[in-house]
Amino acid sequence: MKKKIALFMTFVLSLSVMTGCGKKSDNKETSSTPAATESENNTSSDATQAPANSTEVTSKELNLFTWDGMFPQEVLDDFTEETGIKIYYSNFDYDEDMLAKLEETQGGDYDLVIADDYILELTIKEGLAQKLDKSQIPNFSNINPVFQGQFYDTNDEYTVPYGAGVPLIVYNPSLVDFEIKSYADLWNDSLKDNVAIIGNYRVINGITLKTLGESFNTEDLNVIQQAGDKLKELAPNIRVINDNNTQDNLISGEVAAAFLYTSQVNQALVANPDLKVVYPTEGLGFGIMASLIPSKAPHADAAHAFLDYLLRPEVSAKCFEYIGYFCTNKAAESYISDEMKERLVLPENIKGGEIIHNISQEAEDLHSKIWNEFRSECN
Amino acid sequence: MKTKPQRSKLWLTLIPLYAITILFVLFPIIYMVVLSFMSRAKVWGIELDVTINNYKKILEPLYLNTFVESFKLAVISTLLVALIGYPFGYFMAKLSAKWKKRMMLLIMLPFWTSALIRLYGWIIVFRSNGTLDKILMGLHITDKPLKLLYSYPAVAVGMIYALLPFMILAVYSSAEKMDWSLVEAATDLGASRFTAFRTVTLKLTMPGLLSGIVLTFVPSMGLFFIADLLGGNKIVLVGSVIQEQLTKGRNLPFAAALSVVLMVLTTLIISIYRKVTHAEDVEGLI
Repeated sequence: MKKKIALFMTFVLSLSVMTGCGKKSDNKETSSTPAATESENNTSSDATQAPANSTEVTSKELNLFTWDGMFPQEVLDDFTEETGIKIYYSNFDYDEDMLAKLEETQGGDYDLVIADDYILELTIKEGLAQKLDKSQIPNFSNINPVFQGQFYDTNDEYTVPYGAGVPLIVYNPSLVDFEIKSYADLWNDSLKDNVAIIGNYRVINGITLKTLGESFNTEDLNVIQQAGDKLKELAPNIRVINDNNTQDNLISGEVAAAFLYTSQVNQALVANPDLKVVYPTEGLGFGIMASLIPSKAPHADAAHAFLDYLLRPEVSAKCFEYIGYFCTNKAAESYISDEMKERLVLPENIKGGEIIHNISQEAEDLHSKIWNEFRSECN
Repeated sequence: MKTKPQRSKLWLTLIPLYAITILFVLFPIIYMVVLSFMSRAKVWGIELDVTINNYKKILEPLYLNTFVESFKLAVISTLLVALIGYPFGYFMAKLSAKWKKRMMLLIMLPFWTSALIRLYGWIIVFRSNGTLDKILMGLHITDKPLKLLYSYPAVAVGMIYALLPFMILAVYSSAEKMDWSLVEAATDLGASRFTAFRTVTLKLTMPGLLSGIVLTFVPSMGLFFIADLLGGNKIVLVGSVIQEQLTKGRNLPFAAALSVVLMVLTTLIISIYRKVTHAEDVEGLI
């Protein structure tokens, strides 16, 4: 008996080690909640709740739900000072946690959510979002149309974009003896064991599809497989695959070229201004973070007021300079400081790109399989 | 178990222990096993549609190979840890009481820092133009930065570093308890020092060595963040596939099936190992 218990404990040990990093096996328990402030808000909201279509803001608080570090403190403080609405800011780590939380609260508790495009599509499909009342958001027209009408909200009824991410190639000209212009150049033999890439398989398989002239979102399994075969040829050039701090490898000289997320591109350029950024000729991949109001938001009026405030050009510019993502607010572009402009405003000749969105389960599974085959090929 | 009548109520004090074990160990395992027979829902979450497809999928060469890779890394790490940890624990037990305490403190000290941060320390050592490169170039052994980081040896070093204390402590505790006069007796009776070590010391410290091996092998089957960080994500282990299926793959049932198989395999390996080595008494661990 004693031995059996001990064996059991060994299980526990191995389990706890195994799941250490992937603590999402049960989303409902792991997503962070501001339990105390929330319940407090709920009790008071019954008394102060305003009808959704009222233009007068009567709510005195706003429950904001997004990743950590999405706003400069100044922007939040100014809003509270101006309107008297207190902001309760709570965080999630992964998009999936956010959706699990909204499922749990049935679209209540939170007034404004900011998350990634593909998860917003699911959130809207699950009926957990409410249509925006644009009469309460006069600044809605400031949004750059390039970032509107996207797959997750084709008629712009639910969302306001809060920033765009565009993964780009960055390279060190002193370590590369040719000019990198396209995704296909990453396959160049001279880059052997010298490339760092982010660890997102839809993006990496996606740029391989682009080199074949296909869409990121093709559901044709043959085409995806073809891209998979081509991706394997990239393996000898790959030095490291990593989603976090990938830019460090470029800065330290560990690699000569890297394919990075927008925020990483910015950090790399801040550390070493001699690095060169490439807008690949095959076309860009986009990711958009956007905000929406959950279906049963207790303070929807405050959320509308906050959205309108965020869309003011000068406020918006402050946010973009802070988060380091591409500017989705056309009116804000002129407010962004000159040295930041180059990195936050897309070049004029770029008309927009394709967004990766949810595809059929079979296609998604094939992508994941190709990715793991590719990774073991790199070793 | 209950020898004295007045102790008969003592089992009550065990209730919290059992409650915690059932709540946080047994239930999650049952949940995981049940989940592994469900199917993934089209949009989000899982469907209560019983299937064994998740297990069938594991038989694909790609996923079988991740088990082979994990096993290979676990065996390599365990062997190296035993080779380094056994002599360490053995000689530590021979130190004076004062030095034993100091050594113990030195072994435990790193645990005050997060394992992740300690691994980043290794990245600083290994990376190009990092500490090791600078030393090698300073001594004129190499003339340009080596590509040390993101290689198999780097991963092995990380694994050894993370798991060594378990081996040292297990060997130390059994060597410490050993009656050294038995070794003296063996040499008095004409055994060479090596023969005495082989026939007496090694046999008596075997339980410590074996529990050290179990303590090293079991976690190393599941550890994947070391291979991800120091190996640049290029070694695909079961652990990292499970994590990926839970997050980006959004396929919880498949992740659960992989976990169940990993758990069963680990148990099997340990039980085979026990049969082969006749280690009935691995320091009371299993």
